[in-house]
Amino acid sequence: MSQQILADRVGVTRQTIIAIEKDKYSPSLEVAFKIANIFKVPLGEVFNYG
Amino acid sequence: MNFSFREKGLIASLVITLLVFGNYFFQVFANLQVTPSEQNGFGDLIGLVILVVILEAIIHAFLASQHSTEIEDERDKLIQRMSYRNSYWFLIIGIWVLLIQFLATGSGVWFDFNYLAIFTSAYGLAYLLLLLFVLAEVINFITQLYYYRKGI
Repeated sequence: MSQQILADRVGVTRQTIIAIEKDKYSPSLEVAFKIANIFKVPLGEVFNYG
Repeated sequence: MNFSFREKGLIASLVITLLVFGNYFFQVFANLQVTPSEQNGFGDLIGLVILVVILEAIIHAFLASQHSTEIEDERDKLIQRMSYRNSYWFLIIGIWVLLIQFLATGSGVWFDFNYLAIFTSAYGLAYLLLLLFVLAEVINFITQLYYYRKGI
């Protein structure tokens, strides 16, 4: 899945997806859950803290 | 270096603000040293603001035509909020410093800037306040650019 497609489905810009990937932005819970739901995996598999 | 739609818009706004108001304040403060009791172009300010609005509208319309799919998301809003907070603190501190020095000038208590005409005329103080507003906007643009580049 391309960054643009993921961004469109989540409702953010491609730059935000890039920033999340590079660990330059911590998304809101809403966006985090949307990303996890799109990939059909638990939240902890996409994001971790600490 | 690859710039996003938001960064291009911020750079354009920053350059326009620095060029237009930089030139304006350079001339105003140079004239104020010579004739501190005159307005020295206070009326030009309205024209300058209109010029900045027109230039920004043209450049942002051009940028929007190049990036038609760009939306404003939560990261953009967070960066704007953080940058406005920075420029707010700069403005508050700047106004307090101006206020204190204005009250202290002449009393010989704190900073005695009587030798500078800009601190002793009412117009000088008005221009310094205007300069603070413009600098606060510049800080807003620069910190937004910083957060977009370095992350938040």
